[in-house]
Amino acid sequence: MTGCRPGARRRDHVVCTRRIRDVLVTTLWFTTAASSVVSAQPGAGGGITPPLSPRNANYTITARLDPAARAITGSETISWRNITARPATELQFHLYWNAWRNDRSTFMRELALAGQSGEGRAESDWARIDVNAIKVDGADRTAVKRFVAPDDDNPDDQTVMAVGLAQPVAPGATATIEIAWSAHVPRPFARTGAIGNFFFIAQWFPKLGVLQDQGWNCHQFHAGTEFFSDFGVYDVSLTVPLGWPLGATGVQVKRDDNADRTTTYRYYQEDVHDFVWTTSPDYIERTARFEHPRLPPVEMRLLLQPEHASQADRHFNATRTTLKYYGEWFGPYPYGHITIIDPAYQSGAGGMEYPTLFTAGTRWLAPRGVTTPEGVTVHEAGHQFWYGMVANNEFEDAWMDEGFNTYSTARALAVDYTPNFLALRYLGGFVPHVVREIALSRETEGNRLTGYRHDAESDVQSTPSFRYFPSTGGSITYNKTALWLNTLERWLGWPTMQRILSEHFARWRFKHPKPDDFFTLASEVSGRDLAPFFDQVYRSSNVFDYGVQELQSTPEGDRFRTSVVVRRHGEAIFPVDVAVVFRDGERITEHWDGQDRWKAYTYDRASGAVSAQVDPNRVLLLDANYTNNSMTLQPRGPAAATKWSLTWMVWLQECLLSWAALV
Amino acid sequence: MGGAGLNAWRDGIRRVNRAPALLAAVWALTLVVTLPIAAVMRSLLARHLGASLAAEAAASGVNYDWMQEFSDQAAGLGVTFKPTIIGFGAVADNLSAFLDNVERPVVIVAAATVYILLWIFVAGGIIDRYARDRPTHAAGFFTASGVFFFRFLRLGVLQAIVYSALFSSLHPLLFERLYPKLVHDLTVERTAFLIRIALYLVFGALVAVCVTMFDYAKVRAIVEDRRSMLSAAVEGIRFVRRNPADASTLFLVNFACFAVVVGIYAAIVPAVGGTGVSMWLTVMTGQLYLLARLWVKLVFWASETALFQSRLAHVGYVSRPEPRWPESPQAEQI
Repeated sequence: MTGCRPGARRRDHVVCTRRIRDVLVTTLWFTTAASSVVSAQPGAGGGITPPLSPRNANYTITARLDPAARAITGSETISWRNITARPATELQFHLYWNAWRNDRSTFMRELALAGQSGEGRAESDWARIDVNAIKVDGADRTAVKRFVAPDDDNPDDQTVMAVGLAQPVAPGATATIEIAWSAHVPRPFARTGAIGNFFFIAQWFPKLGVLQDQGWNCHQFHAGTEFFSDFGVYDVSLTVPLGWPLGATGVQVKRDDNADRTTTYRYYQEDVHDFVWTTSPDYIERTARFEHPRLPPVEMRLLLQPEHASQADRHFNATRTTLKYYGEWFGPYPYGHITIIDPAYQSGAGGMEYPTLFTAGTRWLAPRGVTTPEGVTVHEAGHQFWYGMVANNEFEDAWMDEGFNTYSTARALAVDYTPNFLALRYLGGFVPHVVREIALSRETEGNRLTGYRHDAESDVQSTPSFRYFPSTGGSITYNKTALWLNTLERWLGWPTMQRILSEHFARWRFKHPKPDDFFTLASEVSGRDLAPFFDQVYRSSNVFDYGVQELQSTPEGDRFRTSVVVRRHGEAIFPVDVAVVFRDGERITEHWDGQDRWKAYTYDRASGAVSAQVDPNRVLLLDANYTNNSMTLQPRGPAAATKWSLTWMVWLQECLLSWAALV
Repeated sequence: MGGAGLNAWRDGIRRVNRAPALLAAVWALTLVVTLPIAAVMRSLLARHLGASLAAEAAASGVNYDWMQEFSDQAAGLGVTFKPTIIGFGAVADNLSAFLDNVERPVVIVAAATVYILLWIFVAGGIIDRYARDRPTHAAGFFTASGVFFFRFLRLGVLQAIVYSALFSSLHPLLFERLYPKLVHDLTVERTAFLIRIALYLVFGALVAVCVTMFDYAKVRAIVEDRRSMLSAAVEGIRFVRRNPADASTLFLVNFACFAVVVGIYAAIVPAVGGTGVSMWLTVMTGQLYLLARLWVKLVFWASETALFQSRLAHVGYVSRPEPRWPESPQAEQI
């Protein structure tokens, strides 16, 4: 990065002046935006005044955990308001845990496509959720409940339950739904379940889908995607064994120790769209506070595994990083509290987000200088913004939160956690070896270029996320989005990008944005027609690959004739710069719209060329092959190849010697 | 208990140090096997880098972006070009791969096979030299190598069967069936790691026992001029059973030497530098480390030979007459 240092040349001075201006603009925006959001005040007990969301799906839940039987019995009352323009003639509910009822569910079939299965699981390691009774406005509708499979008509999938209504719920009207259910907690599947005495209970109650003007948006549970629901108020009472600490969405407002050696915790939270909880007698608890001169304070609660006790501050500091930078860049975190869960080893619960609570994930051996646990902590805390508040449909447009958040995580980590060294793990993956020669870069590793490169053509991003191929969908959801957002940042400049994202955040927090909402807003805020860019990155699976095909510089009299041919190897199109550097230090930068398959440049100069490079500033981070982007007439490839082959040879010799020990 | 083992270890060091040419020879052997493959790797890297500016960063330090790109697009030999090759990572990677029985690409397996065959060839000459504890010169060395090559090849078949059983049957049993069962319900990583360490120790101890038995089989084959490798193996086992304390002490001392060498390398291995002096410094450090590793391997053999010979009526006895080129019948044989 270029700094604003004394003695910088004029061009640098201009850059510095622009940066100062940008900082001022950003600060001005920040002050304005922050003040409007902060006007909503978090109350002491999970309440927020005035309401930030429509609060049209409000749950009062009572549930009891029997750890020995791994059973949950619960009842809930949902107060649901129809905020669409059409009457509701039926209700649709997610029963996510039925995805793990057997291997015939859509989730398990998709998991098999990704090369995984539930084979070998004991009967008790599978899950189920059974609705025993349901009443709507006092009328028993248990008899008419049925399973539907809107995505694939799989008759064996029981993850969506439909219930016909005796009386339609008119637009603006409210229905009261009472449900009694029982569930069996599985050995962990998709961050949910129990191992030993660790319980992580997510997506655990019958949960309404989202009614839209087009009808119910209530997808089956898929292996590659997550969730979607309306905002509301959650008032949840949970009974667990006495002495078992409990962490949950919201704030604990009551605790009763019962005569039967159980404890009932009551948690409450407004303006959230999900509720999760966890309990284990092994948790140790730590607390800390986030403070910032212009952002609301946040009380942080960490439930930690004893073997990670020494890493408490690392969790808190990473959460502070998120609350600070996401707060400054996009908008403040309004809830006033956040719970960080360090899940148990092998629980599979790490790295997941829920409103006001997230799971991090670390290792027993976690060397400094490597972002474990910081990477996952920043990412999952970041989901409080992208998912928690800006609540896109994760079934259909998972990239809108995962991709945005991957990009934002990389950006935040680059500020507070540089250098971030590569760590390799040996001996069964337990022992880390830090490669101090390799500091991971935000642009490539942070945005996960390698994963994208492998799967670049696997799916068109505009395909609904739940239809992505299960084993490669993540690369399109996370990696590709992060790469094109960072590309956009490098193309438009951070101040513009920051305005786009903060405006998107301000406009869509506590709502459900669609892709076009973001695309329209980005063009509007940037003042440029970005549609061609989004066509390339979102509506196609084309690969970007620009390169220098030819560089020649031959003397003609006392001058040099230089010719450069640049080529578009990939199908995707993006405007790129082409830089040609001459021996006398002159540097010419051409702007190529990148449309044609190739373009030639010729120069007649007193000096010969040294090098040519397409996209010298690496604006286009999606370029799958960056090595071919440059060519020099003073190549150092052979020298580099010698050095690295000799380094590799030592590894090979060591390898052979290891096996020769058996002779 | 074990005093003879320590004496044998000291004697072994003396014998190895008195025959530096052998150390140089096995180092050269290692170089001869690996240099051509390294040349192939060099051409792969050079082709990928081409005349790009990425080479500049790769030449002056670590260009991880390029390494990633190369590795993503590589096949065959190229897939082994990873950050694991950098510095001490190379040692950690190989040690871990050995203990975790990680499959290597075919080309690496082929190179290892050639390398092991060469070791089987020179083993006779090396142990014969240490057993006689006096110069045998090239003629004597190659004569002994030739005489024992086919015997050790037969022993090699036996070794292959035993090691196959260890790596193909026992290892999966320990690490793919037993270990998952042991840690199935564990929620503490540290405990899981300790269990894995325990299994490494069990597996490693079994490998060590087999290696030691086969080492003494080779020593007895040479010292007693045995032709039956089956009987040599049995006698090797018998020797260890009769001298458990000394054999174990000797193994542990030698293994400690190996650990010290690895530890020193971990401490001094230089960071990846440029293509000039720093490159050669890195290469030289690597080669010095390999020399030390080879020295330890030779000390293993020499000290085991010394221990066995110390138990004989005539210390330093070798049954087979020393070959005299070209008059000796043994030399005529080859």
